[in-house]
Amino acid sequence: MVATQQAATLPAARAVELTKVYGTGDAAVRALDGVSLELERGHFTAVMGPSGSGKSTLMHCMAGLDRPTAGHAFIGEHELDGLDDADLTDLRRDRIGFVFQSFNLVPMLTAGENITLPADLAGASVEREWFDALVRQLGIVDRLEHRPSELSGGQQQRVACARALIGRPELIFADEPTGNLDSNTSTEVLGFLRDAVSEHGQSIVMVTHDPLAAAYADRVVFLADGSVAGEIRSPSADAVLAQMKKLGR
Amino acid sequence: MRRITLRGLLARKLRLALTALAIVLGVTFVSGTLVLGDTLNRTLGDLVGSVYQHVSFEIRGKAAFNEKTPQGVTGTADRKPVPESIAAEVRRLPGVADVFGSVGGYAQFVAPDGSSIDDGAGKNLGFAYDPNSQLSPFRLVAGRAPTTAHDVVIDKATATKYHFALGDPIRVLLPDGQSTFTITGIVTFGDSNTLAGDTLAGFEQTTAQALFNSRGHYDSINVLAAPGADNVQLQEAISRLLPTGVEVVSGQAVANELTDAVDNELSFLSTALLIFALISLFVGGFTIFNTFTITVGQRTRELALLRVVGASRRQLMRSVLGEAALTGLAASLIGLGLGVLAALGLKALLGAFGISLPSAPLVFQARTAIVAIAVGVGVTVVSAIVPARRAVRVPPVAALVEHSEDQPAATPRRRIVAGVVLGLVGLVALIAGVSGANLTLVGVGSGAMLVARALLARLVARPLADVLGRPLRMFGTPGKLGRQNSMRNPGRTAQTAAALMIGIGLVSTIAVLGASLSTSAADQVDSAVTADYLVTSSGGFSRSVPATVSGLPGVTATTAVYRGQFEFGNSLSSLAAVTPAGLARTVNLHMVDGSGTPALAAGRLLVDASTASSDHLHVGSVVPVRFAQTGAGTMTVGGIYKTNPLIGSFVTGEQFFLAHFDTPLPSGVLVKVTRGTPGFQARLNRRLAAYPNLTIQTRAQFESQQKASINQLLGLIYVLLALAVMIALIGIVNTLMLSVFERTREIGLLRAVGMRRGQVRAMVRSESVIVALFGAVLGVVVGTGIGLALASALRNNGVTNLSVPVPSLIAFVILSALLGLLAATWPARRAANLDVLAAIASQ
Ligand SMILES: Nc1ncnc2c1ncn2[C@@H]1O[C@H](COP(=O)(O)OP(=O)(O)O)[C@@H](O)[C@H]1O
Ligand SMILES: [Mg+2]
Repeated sequence: MVATQQAATLPAARAVELTKVYGTGDAAVRALDGVSLELERGHFTAVMGPSGSGKSTLMHCMAGLDRPTAGHAFIGEHELDGLDDADLTDLRRDRIGFVFQSFNLVPMLTAGENITLPADLAGASVEREWFDALVRQLGIVDRLEHRPSELSGGQQQRVACARALIGRPELIFADEPTGNLDSNTSTEVLGFLRDAVSEHGQSIVMVTHDPLAAAYADRVVFLADGSVAGEIRSPSADAVLAQMKKLGR
Repeated sequence: MRRITLRGLLARKLRLALTALAIVLGVTFVSGTLVLGDTLNRTLGDLVGSVYQHVSFEIRGKAAFNEKTPQGVTGTADRKPVPESIAAEVRRLPGVADVFGSVGGYAQFVAPDGSSIDDGAGKNLGFAYDPNSQLSPFRLVAGRAPTTAHDVVIDKATATKYHFALGDPIRVLLPDGQSTFTITGIVTFGDSNTLAGDTLAGFEQTTAQALFNSRGHYDSINVLAAPGADNVQLQEAISRLLPTGVEVVSGQAVANELTDAVDNELSFLSTALLIFALISLFVGGFTIFNTFTITVGQRTRELALLRVVGASRRQLMRSVLGEAALTGLAASLIGLGLGVLAALGLKALLGAFGISLPSAPLVFQARTAIVAIAVGVGVTVVSAIVPARRAVRVPPVAALVEHSEDQPAATPRRRIVAGVVLGLVGLVALIAGVSGANLTLVGVGSGAMLVARALLARLVARPLADVLGRPLRMFGTPGKLGRQNSMRNPGRTAQTAAALMIGIGLVSTIAVLGASLSTSAADQVDSAVTADYLVTSSGGFSRSVPATVSGLPGVTATTAVYRGQFEFGNSLSSLAAVTPAGLARTVNLHMVDGSGTPALAAGRLLVDASTASSDHLHVGSVVPVRFAQTGAGTMTVGGIYKTNPLIGSFVTGEQFFLAHFDTPLPSGVLVKVTRGTPGFQARLNRRLAAYPNLTIQTRAQFESQQKASINQLLGLIYVLLALAVMIALIGIVNTLMLSVFERTREIGLLRAVGMRRGQVRAMVRSESVIVALFGAVLGVVVGTGIGLALASALRNNGVTNLSVPVPSLIAFVILSALLGLLAATWPARRAANLDVLAAIASQ
C-alpha cells in the first residue's frame, strides 16, 4: 500500500454521523444513532459496549459490509457511499482485513490457501518474505497444508489473523476475535495483534466484551444504545471494567 | 407429527418445488402417452365400429395363414377372392335386403402440380364404391356416386387439401398404368374425412374389378339382412351356399378383428413411448433420492431434537415418507394436467418425424389418472425410503454435537458388495447375451450394469472430479474452489451425476446402435447392389414400369423386385422375387452354394446362409411352403447366398412368384447402364414422369437415403430421451441450490474477504460443469459399451457392422458441460446475490 502524504495524515477510517435503522414504523430499531468516530492510523482501537449496543453494526457499516441509513463512512481517503458493490468488494479485498469470531476459514482450502485467498482472488501475488515471517511468528508453519477442520480453534484464529495481515491493509476489523477461545489462546492471539500494531504500524479495530482483551488496545471506545458513550486512552482492565459497569452492564 | 410434516413441507417449498418438477415432467410424459394411446384407440375403434354397424355379414375367403399378418382396415391380401356368382345367389335368399361385392387395390392420386399424393404413412386405396349407404363404410358428402368407367369419388381430406372440386379431372396411378377420371363425388370414411391418413378413390363396381384385376370375383361380399330376419338362420343359409375356402362371418366379428389389429399396431407405439416416459421417471427418482438425502442431512439437528423430545423412529419415518408422498401427489396431479398438453405435443412430434396420426378429441380415461398418480407417488416414496431410514437412525445425541455435512461418509461396504455383485452379474449376462445373440439377456445385463454403475459411482467420484476439474484451475480461485466443492461430498456428486449418467448413457447407447445400423445398411447396399440406378416407391408401383425402363437406350440390364409373404415351414416369412435375366449384372448375391440365376429361372428357392444353417438346408432340400392364393406345396432349395438383411432370407424367380401371388406389384426396379451414358438419370426421370410416385436414385443416393431414414428414427429417439437428460439437469440445479443454501456462511465469508459476485458465479458454475462432465463421461463410456453389446447381439437382425460415432460422443460430453453451465445459472445467481451480512450474521 502506497500511503500518500495526504493519506498518511488521514485517520485509517472515519465515521461521520453514522445512523442505521433496521425495520420501519413501530418495529424500527435504531442500531446506530449518529455515531462519529475516527480510528487513528497505526493504532489499536477497541470498541466495547453492552450486547445490542450497535458494535457489530458499526463495524459492518465502516467496513463496507452494510450501508448506513444516514451519515458517511471512510476508509482512508475513500468514501464508501459512492462505491457500488463491485468497488466495495475490491476495497474489502485490497484495503481491509477481517477476523471474525468463528467460521473464519473456507473449509475446502488449506490454511496456506486461506491466508493467500484475498490475493488469489485479486490475481495478485503475496510478498513471500512477509508471508514466511507471519506464519513463523504465528507458529503455523507446519499447519499450512492442513484443512481448517484439522486445526484447533486457536490455530484457526491465527490463520485468520495471518490472512488479515498479509496484504498490509489500511485497517483490520476484528469482531470478538477471541470470543470462542480459552484464556491462554486468547492471550496469544491478542499479543499477536498488539505486536502487529506496535512493530508494523498496522491499524486495527476490535470489538470485544472482555475488559482484559480491551486492555491490549491503545484506546477503548464505548457504545451504548447506538451512540458513543465515552472513551479511555491507554486503558487498564480495571478502568474498562469500571466504565462498563457505569454503562449498566 | 402431521403438523410437523406439513410445516417441514412449507419451510422447504423451494427445494420441494424443484424436486417435484422432476416428477411433474415424468408424470406428464406418462399421462401424455396414455392419453394419446387411448385417443388413437378410441378414434380408430369408433371408426371401425361405425363402419360395420349395419353390415350383417361378410363373405370372404378363409385366412390363408394361421399366423396373424398385419393388415390394414380394408386389406384382404391374404384371403382368396370370392367368385362373383355367390353375390347373386345370396341376394336371392329370403331375409337378405342387399348385397355388395367389394374390390380394392392400389390407386394413387396425382396432384395438379404433377406430384403424387402420398401423405405420411397412409396407404393409397382404390375400391368399388357401394351406393347403399347402409352397407358402405363411405358416406357421400357431395356430388353423386360413380356410375361410368370415367367416374371417381375421392376422400374429403384429399379434396380439401389439394382443392379438388366436383367435375375436375384427376390423374390416378393404378396397378397397370394410369388414367384420368372425373370427380363426381366427395366421400368420408364414417364420420372421418380420411381413413387414418389413407387416400381413398372410389370407382364404379365393374370398373374397379377391371382396374384391380378382379374380373369375375370380389375381395369380399357384404350382406345386409332385412329388418326382422333371423340372423342365425340366415348365416346358416348363406354358409350352405358357399364353396370350400369361403366363409361367412358377422359384421361384428369383422369389426372386432379390425379393432384388434388396430390395437396391436398402436400398442407398439404406446409401449415404445411409455418406455421413454418410464426412463424419465426413473431418472427423476434419482433427483428425489438426492434431495431427500441432502435435506435429511441438513435437518439432522432438527430430527435429533424431535427424537430428544420423544418422537419415535416410526413417527420420523412416517414424517419423511409423508412428505415424499405429498410431494409426489402434488407433482402427479400437476403432471396429469399437463399430460393432456403432452399428448398433443407427442402427436405433433411423431408427425414431425413422419408418423402421422388421425386427429380427434382427446380421450381421458380414469385409468390414466390412476396410473399416473400411482407411478408418480410410487417413484417419489420409493426414492425417499433410503433417506428416510437414514433420518430415523439419527441418534438423539446428534442434537447436541456440532454436525458437518462435509464429512465424506465412507461408502458402506454393503453398497460396494451389492454394486460389485450386480456389476458382475450384469457383465456375465451381457457376455452371454452377446455371444448368444440374445437381446433379453443383453437388456437384463445392461440394466444391472447401469444400476451397479450408479451404486459404485461415488467410489470414482473424487478421483474423476479431481481430473475433470483440473483444467478449471485456469479460471483462478473460483475454478479451483468449484473443483474442491465438487469433491467435498463424493456421494452427493455421484448421486447428482448418476441421473445424467443414465440419460447420457442411453443416448450414447442409441448413438452407437444407430451408427452401427447405418454403417451396416451402407455396407449391405455396397455388397449386394451392383446396379447403377434404383427405381422404388413407398408402396408398390405399376407393372408397366419395368418394361418402360428396359426400353431406354443405354440400359444393359433391369431386374424387377417383388415382395410378398409366404409360410415357410410353419412361420410366416417374407419372400423376394426377381427377374432372373438381368440379375447377374444388377445384384451380387454372393452365392455360397448352388447356382443363382439358373435356379431362379427354374423357380427354385434361394435361402441365405444363416437360415440354411439354422434350418439345416442344403442345395436340393425340399421344403414345405404355403401361399395365400395357391395353398400348400413344396419348393426345392436351388442355392445358398451370403446373409444380407437388405435382400432378406428367401428369394425366388419372378415367374414362380407371379404364379403364386394375386396380382402382385413390383416394389423396385434395378437398372444397369453401359459405362459413360451421360444424362441417363435425366432421361430416366423424363421417361418415368408419368409415374410421380416413383423414387429414382443412383446407388449412392439410395445408400444415403437408407442412412437418412435410420438417422430420422435416431432423431426421434434423441428427442424422447432429451426429457430424461432435462430431468437430470433439474437434479443438478436442485443439488446446487441445496449446496449453496448449505454453504451460506462460507459464501458470505468469501464475499466479505473480497470475492466478487462474478467470481461467486464462476465458482458455482465450475462445480456444475464438473458434475455434468462426470455424469457425461461415465455415461458415454458405459453407454458405448452397452451399445456395442446390443449391436453385436443384433448381428443376425441386420446389424452386420459395429461403429462408434466418436464425434457424436464427444459432442454429447461437450453439450453436457454446456448444459451443466446452464443448470448453474439460477444457483449461481442465488449464491452471488446472497446478503453478505446475513450470511456472516448467521454464525
Ligand atoms: N438485521 C437486523 N435486523 C433488525 N435488527 C437488527 C439487525 N441487526 C442488528 N439488529 C439490532 O440492532 C441492534 C444492534 O445490534 P448489533 O450491532 O448486533 O449489536 P452488538 O454487536 O453490539 O451486540 C440490536 O438491537 C439488534 O437487535
Ligand atoms: Mg455483535
